[in-house]
Amino acid sequence: MELKARRHTVQDLGGAMDLCYTNGWTDGLPVVPPTADRVTAMLDAAKIDPQHQLAFIENRQISVTAEKVAINAVMAGCKAEYMPVVVAAVEAIADPKYGYHGPATSTGGSAVFMLVNGPIAKELDFNSGDNLFGPGWRANATVGRAIRLIMRNVIGTLPGELDRSSMGHGGKYSFCIAENETDTSPWPPFHTSRGFRRDQNTVTVFAAFAPHQISNGLSSTPEGVLTTLCANMRFSAGTNRRPQYALIFPGEHQLVMKKAGWSREDVQNYCFENAKCSMAEIKRANIAPGPITPEDETTKISVVETPQDFIVVAAGGIAGVQASYIPGWGGKAGSQSVTREIRKP
Amino acid sequence: MTVQILDPTTEVSGRRIAYARRPKSMEGLRVGLIDNTKHNSDQLLLRIADILEKEHGSKTHIIRKKKSSGAAPHAEIIEEYKANCDVIVAGVGD
Repeated sequence: MELKARRHTVQDLGGAMDLCYTNGWTDGLPVVPPTADRVTAMLDAAKIDPQHQLAFIENRQISVTAEKVAINAVMAGCKAEYMPVVVAAVEAIADPKYGYHGPATSTGGSAVFMLVNGPIAKELDFNSGDNLFGPGWRANATVGRAIRLIMRNVIGTLPGELDRSSMGHGGKYSFCIAENETDTSPWPPFHTSRGFRRDQNTVTVFAAFAPHQISNGLSSTPEGVLTTLCANMRFSAGTNRRPQYALIFPGEHQLVMKKAGWSREDVQNYCFENAKCSMAEIKRANIAPGPITPEDETTKISVVETPQDFIVVAAGGIAGVQASYIPGWGGKAGSQSVTREIRKP
Repeated sequence: MTVQILDPTTEVSGRRIAYARRPKSMEGLRVGLIDNTKHNSDQLLLRIADILEKEHGSKTHIIRKKKSSGAAPHAEIIEEYKANCDVIVAGVGD
């Protein structure tokens, strides 16, 4: 296996980490030095040729090769066996439907939210439970980080240059979760709603803002829980832009849905009907321009275009009544979530 | 003992990008304006077209709207520009 990347020689491993800082190759945290043996192991684990082009980013005219992906995956701290997940995520963000350039560059400042589904999530120990968006799991932390380092180092998505986020958010370090696919979940795994079989492995990428937490410990019905969620979502980042939204339900809310027999579609339909504002409210809040007409008072607009634009996921700690909604970046014309199969060699 | 690490960045491939030819004069040319969907971008572009016509002699203009500021113009409006325009004014106003 021939690796073609330019080589840099330093005195020791500490010097290698310093060089990565000096050359602007990190996200601010230390990286694992990408030595040839580590990079080769990463490529071997996916059985992929180093010069194979995994993606071509049209707006940047940049070819993303497996070798550069593997180098950045090593730097992020990935185990070699994570490489197929990283590969699938890179392919997904290059899908025209995802529309890389807009969400990566925009002042709106999205991160790549990643959802891993299928048996591989358990095999590689991706977290789908406690402290869902927080630290503590190597697979979640490093696979998400690998994608951000690839965006930075290979595609040139550098803060202040071709990443013009005004605010950014913590998910831009890493934003990767798995789903509860056990019997306690009220729903079949998310990827089956995208046409995949339960035993297939997939990663879903979604250009997303930070998770917004809601709390409802009073309700024992789906309507009760979702009333709180919709009240929070009505005026949120996607109001009148209508991107997709991810809705993340933790253990206790999963139990409420399961007991009531509510399907994923029931949740989508309920939220579509109840996360609405009138155009008059939207204009009064300075989210849309123009004078308020009589029709604006009765024209109701949901935060998404269709019920299916809610990405409904069962994930989070068993205890607790805190769910999350995650607004997507921009609108659907600019970016949509993409689900890609993870191919294990 | 020294350590050798691999460069994680894209290395220059030396590929050339062909730019459209620039006109020497705007006299008599038809202008295409690409509205990038941002508020007031149409007003800014129409003002530019006005200046091009009054001060630089361009003949006409058309304005069409992209579907998203982050995406390239869609095929239908590209065809319209190709059929009806000699120069294009594009850019992201925010």
